[in-house]
Amino acid sequence: MSSQLLHRQTKLLEYLTGSAGIFGRARGLSNEPPLQGLDLGLLHLEARFSHEKRMQKIDWVLTRTLELLASKREAVVRDFVEACPPASITWLDNARQLHAFLQSRWTQGTVEPAWLPDVAAYEIAYATVRAGERRASLQDGLVAASGSIRLHPSALLLCCSYDIRCILEGRDDDIPARRETHLVVAMLPSSDEPLVSALSPPVFELMGMLTEFVDPTAFGDTPELIRLLDDLAATGLIEVCP
Amino acid sequence: MDKISHAIGFGYRRHIHEWTIANLRHFDVLEITLDHCLVGSEAAKAMIFDLVGEIPLTAHGIGLSIGTDAPLDHAYLDEIAALLDRLKAPAYSEHLAFTRVPGRDLGNLLPLPKTMEVAERVIDKVRQVQSRISVPFLMENITYIFDWPDSELSDADILSHICAETGAGILLDVENLYLNSQNHRFDPYAFLDRLPANAVQEVHVAGGVTLTEDILPRPLLQDTHSHPVPEAALDLLDYALRRQAPSAIVLERDDRLEAAEEILDDVARLRARFGRMIETSAIETVDVKPVAAPADQVA
Repeated sequence: MSSQLLHRQTKLLEYLTGSAGIFGRARGLSNEPPLQGLDLGLLHLEARFSHEKRMQKIDWVLTRTLELLASKREAVVRDFVEACPPASITWLDNARQLHAFLQSRWTQGTVEPAWLPDVAAYEIAYATVRAGERRASLQDGLVAASGSIRLHPSALLLCCSYDIRCILEGRDDDIPARRETHLVVAMLPSSDEPLVSALSPPVFELMGMLTEFVDPTAFGDTPELIRLLDDLAATGLIEVCP
Repeated sequence: MDKISHAIGFGYRRHIHEWTIANLRHFDVLEITLDHCLVGSEAAKAMIFDLVGEIPLTAHGIGLSIGTDAPLDHAYLDEIAALLDRLKAPAYSEHLAFTRVPGRDLGNLLPLPKTMEVAERVIDKVRQVQSRISVPFLMENITYIFDWPDSELSDADILSHICAETGAGILLDVENLYLNSQNHRFDPYAFLDRLPANAVQEVHVAGGVTLTEDILPRPLLQDTHSHPVPEAALDLLDYALRRQAPSAIVLERDDRLEAAEEILDDVARLRARFGRMIETSAIETVDVKPVAAPADQVA
């Protein structure tokens, strides 16, 4: 059973994380029993500051996504606030909340601009890799057969409907072409920032089959394939079990 | 006659790691925010752990939410305990506040109703924390925009009561005290007078901004950790040190980190005013009520 104090704390956080607290214009003292006597003007400031701090965290991750929302941004953020109260203090968790919220909206109507889902997915992937999230690796005690290969444990593969590289490279005047584009994002050894590479469809398909350690001979033993795997191993995008 | 000195330190921030390493000679101690060791890349964590042995570290937390009237997150506390050992931190500090309830996390420190009933609930939590960590636990005074209408204790009295009952130390944030005294119109020197002598184990200093809003009767001082420490806060610290002997005075800075020269200027100001040796005989004896350590506390 909730205590009276916890009930008041819960009601306060519901107010501070909701639209009424963040965007509302209520002033004076609250009459709502759990918050009775609290100054609504001061609560609005607290709510606004906390919301701005949360949005700053999200902006660190979804910078271009928020820019591309442009004039719709304000309405989207208001709906997001109501639908998704903050559940964590980390910037990645909050950004993921907004991303999931946007994905849900995008299934219900036209997306504008059309390449926005690709940009958002890329920004989440980049932040995920940058934050150090990775699958279990050999260093974690994972056992695999000698000579078997696998996608680097940090690497995430992205299949985009649009070629968003112009956006990622800051060429703001270019319009992304509708062209399936395959990207890999990975934090490779001795690198401070994630590596982002465009892959040809066959290489992307091959790397998609390497989420677990596999015997490379299963893919054939042509010189071209061996050279390709050697090249990918040399860049660090796939790891080879010693 | 025994003499001690206050270590002058800085709150480590990953964004200026290289700068911090290059300027390590300016600091006696770095304060590590433990929550930053729990999330983030392995490389970022390694940067923190590599500091062990290079400079003394002390430990601060932002994720405990000790004031939430719900069970403590024991898994989180166990991670904190392990970090404290790994960092060889001499103490662990947290805020007398709450930040979340089940299902919602504001990510900002909120005040508690200042009542004896609430104090008793926090006391129980403090004892739980103490039973799971191997170093002294310190409670920090927060800055707050609003206060609960049923608060009946002063800021100093609830903090002092909790610390006296549990044996916890105090992390005195003089900037928070200064801001609260200005925003809520009370005498900060009276606050300091009501703290038990020698209860303050560590100190935070920082600088903020002044916010003017239509809905406010007067400008609000905000604890943004973005600007040089105001002289008025240093005056408060000067006064506090007549009865307190904190081991560390830590400068907090979270914004405008590119103005790094301001950080070094602040450290120089702190060293000029407080880095001197002080005679312990000038400090009153401890009047914190001693409490027995919980049975399962590991030394």
